[in-house]
Amino acid sequence: MPWWWKSLFRKRALDTQLNSEIRFHIDELTDANVAAGMSLEEARRRAVLEFGGGEQIKEDLRDVHRVAIVETTLANLKSALRFLRKSPSFSMTVILTLALGIGANSAVFSAIDAILLRPLPFPNGDQLMKLSQHYVKANGVPTVVAPVRLEDWNRMNSTFQAMTGYYTENSSETSGTLPEKLSEAFVTQRFLQVWGVSPALGRDFSPEEEHVGGPSAVLISDRFWRNRFEASQDVLGKKLRIGNRSLSIIGVMPASFLFPERDVDLWSAVPVDAPIAQNRRWTWYKVIGRLKPGVTLTQAQANLAAVQAQLGRAYPETDKDLAVEIKALKEMTVGESRGSLWMLFASVTLLLLIACTNIVTLLLARATQRQHEIAVRFSLGASRSAIVTQLLTEVFVLAFFGATLGLFVAAGTSKVFRSLASGLPRVEEIRLDWRVMLYALACTIVATLLCGLVPAIRGSSRTLSGSLAQANRTQVSGRNRLQWLLVGTQVALAVTLLAGAGLLFRSLRALGQVSPGFDASRVLTFRISGSYGETADWEKLSQRIEQSVEVLGKLPGVEAAATTGDDLPGVPQHYPTELEFVEGEQDPEHKIVAESRFVSPSFFSTMQIPLLAGQGCRDPLLVPKSTPADLTGMRHVDVTRIEVLVNRSFAATYAPGSTAVGRHLSVQGLAFLKPEQAGEIRGIVGDAREEGMNHEPSPTVYWCMSASGPDPFYIVRTHSAQPLTMAGTLRQKIQEIEPGRSVFGITPLEELIDDAFAENRMRTVLLTFFAATAVSLACIGLYGTLSYSVNVRQREVGLRLALGALRGQITKQFLLQGLRVTLVGCAAGWVLALACSRILSGMLYGVSPSDVVTLSSVVLLVIIVAMVASLVPAVRAARLDPMRVLREE
Amino acid sequence: MAVDRSDLLQGTLDMLILKIVALGPVHGYGISQRIQQVSREVLQVQQGSLYPALHRLEKRGWLAATWGESESGRQAKFYRLSAKGRKQLQLEESQWNRLAEAIALVLRSAS
Repeated sequence: MPWWWKSLFRKRALDTQLNSEIRFHIDELTDANVAAGMSLEEARRRAVLEFGGGEQIKEDLRDVHRVAIVETTLANLKSALRFLRKSPSFSMTVILTLALGIGANSAVFSAIDAILLRPLPFPNGDQLMKLSQHYVKANGVPTVVAPVRLEDWNRMNSTFQAMTGYYTENSSETSGTLPEKLSEAFVTQRFLQVWGVSPALGRDFSPEEEHVGGPSAVLISDRFWRNRFEASQDVLGKKLRIGNRSLSIIGVMPASFLFPERDVDLWSAVPVDAPIAQNRRWTWYKVIGRLKPGVTLTQAQANLAAVQAQLGRAYPETDKDLAVEIKALKEMTVGESRGSLWMLFASVTLLLLIACTNIVTLLLARATQRQHEIAVRFSLGASRSAIVTQLLTEVFVLAFFGATLGLFVAAGTSKVFRSLASGLPRVEEIRLDWRVMLYALACTIVATLLCGLVPAIRGSSRTLSGSLAQANRTQVSGRNRLQWLLVGTQVALAVTLLAGAGLLFRSLRALGQVSPGFDASRVLTFRISGSYGETADWEKLSQRIEQSVEVLGKLPGVEAAATTGDDLPGVPQHYPTELEFVEGEQDPEHKIVAESRFVSPSFFSTMQIPLLAGQGCRDPLLVPKSTPADLTGMRHVDVTRIEVLVNRSFAATYAPGSTAVGRHLSVQGLAFLKPEQAGEIRGIVGDAREEGMNHEPSPTVYWCMSASGPDPFYIVRTHSAQPLTMAGTLRQKIQEIEPGRSVFGITPLEELIDDAFAENRMRTVLLTFFAATAVSLACIGLYGTLSYSVNVRQREVGLRLALGALRGQITKQFLLQGLRVTLVGCAAGWVLALACSRILSGMLYGVSPSDVVTLSSVVLLVIIVAMVASLVPAVRAARLDPMRVLREE
Repeated sequence: MAVDRSDLLQGTLDMLILKIVALGPVHGYGISQRIQQVSREVLQVQQGSLYPALHRLEKRGWLAATWGESESGRQAKFYRLSAKGRKQLQLEESQWNRLAEAIALVLRSAS
């Protein structure tokens, strides 16, 4: 243990040691005196006398051990606080600048920490993996997993502790007055075991509840518990009515349990031995597995590949062409936002650098004013290191206040994150905690060194302070050059940030101007709850959905209505499938891969996608069937005959030179299409940017079947520019025709498309804000340095004016000084922006990262702003009264 | 701090301590006795100077200290010379010798 530690915290131990050392000396002296013939008492008295003032010596010894650092630090802090009080406006400027710099930095760090750095909020979250199956032939698109296969994987693998599966469904709970839409997760055995979470209240499923014929049981979410049961403790055992099921509540999950999906309210167990779950073709589950400790992803992948190969031999018909894909769950969850977050982090780091540079110029200017004070301290015998320490302490105090204030900024910015990009994964986990505080403290220390070191070392240089009295008046060169260099740096960094913001802004505008190939205005979208159980009878399901579409389309105020599977036009979502033409030979080298979308025949008129060739799909309800429509008006849908439309890119890519119309397409791996089923291509429609505005339309096949799942998206084109005004009418009508089902997610399509680019918007807004701050800081730096320069050169200017210089010349001279630095800074910034453009690639649309127009307009903007900032001090210089200045000097 | 000695004496006290400790581990009382005996009672070191000096030298790392039993059976703090202290002693000795020679030279030639 170092001595200073001892003396700080082991004071008592030190005192004991001093005492015994002194006592030993006195005892020895006493012995010597006794040996010389004195009585013991006399010997002792003489010894104490001879030793001298014991207390005085002890105090001296303590002095030797006292820690100088602590005391000088306290003294330095005191003098720093005094210094702050003495120059409040300077201190406030520095504190606010750093508050902004450190605050923005800590805010982005808190987001990065919560989203990217921390493991998922489960015990050993890094062991959690997402597993999926994919058809090797079908271009490797991962799909959900068949229940029996999941059980096989779980039983046969050696690398996972356990695996579990789930799927979610939007259900209606009908025990209340109105049907309430709830998101229900159906889970397999081992669900809570894999997540490593237990219910906050109640218990996990019992084995009986996981088998056919067992008691019904459900776990509810913390949110549902609070909203519906007012967090009552006796919720256990109460019943919920979902469709025709009655479920008794066995537990409440903790509030932090937001997986698999954020809005899940209920978890219920699927019996593992349900007859419907025994088919290897029926795929349902998203699969999550927990690795055994120490097992790597590669080992797990090899292991599961072997397991699946074994299954392929056992069930060649269904399992031969399947492969297993394993990815870390965290990567799957947050992977996509990584680029944006690091880009923002880079930009706030630049911002902090600019802030620090700015403060360095301020401190340098200030050091000139303090030369006298420093010279006095030197002459009083202070060492250089003592003065540097004192100057650094001052900066540290400023930075510390700045960081404290900055943490408030950061707290606010976390809210900004949440409101700007609510779709960001794990966004609810962003908060200020000790990690962010530590980070802010680290920022403070770095900022102190960045801001304080150069001014402190320069300011405390003996030669400078020695000759200060004269230097101050006549000589401005050396230190000034450094200040201009710093101003140039600020301009360069600001240009870099602004260039990034400009590129993002332009790409956002370009996205807004894209012609999507469909019309999203006046369109309202929503869903109607349904259960996967209904998919057992596709015919009945199609009938129900088609009938609703028909009724909705005829509502007053509605132009057209349709359904579009699980994907909305313009909202990024990929569903590539591998297809085959039934007619003619297939070239195995050139596979047909196209997006598959499942729509009702009215989709194209509703979205105003033009038909280019052939005919549209026929309304399934009008297709005559052997049995005529019965008296209740129920007509039948023939699900065995499937019609298909393809878009222009598909026709151009896969059927060039001939017509695609009339040919048949077959597809593999879709639950509701039997392998032998083929779709007849009825016509060709225009290209639409279905997969998002930033994607060129890709070859797409539209399957004209509304029932691709139990609850497709409904889209309704209204007559009103405010489609939401129709929500009430629609809700009422649906309640009428489909009682017992709930309508949910009523949102204008334009809003959903907008939300899909929320992350885009977030990074543009934030970067623009950072860039604007950066430019203002750079201008403040320019203004301050130029003002300082004008101040220092007052005498020279006054002299020249007295000798007949024109005021315009003086203004021009100072303006040019500012302009020169700005130009050099801009040039450097241009180069820096080009070097950094790689970070932005992949976030830009319709504009190249080295876009000359953007860069030059950014530079122009900065030059104009910089000129405005220089104008004030330059004009002030020209307005100097030569007589007054010269008299003062 | 007891700086009632002149600078010269303070400097020489450190050197004397180092020299004595160089002979072997010894406690504070032993050092004060030894200086008196060796200098034939000419130099008398005040305890008020000795102990702060010892602790200062220990803090600088020239002396190392351990607690042990003295000849009289009492617990005492024994000081040893560290490698760093040995180097310092050599340095101070040579400096002192040079200074003493120079002074002697001046005294001789001036008389």
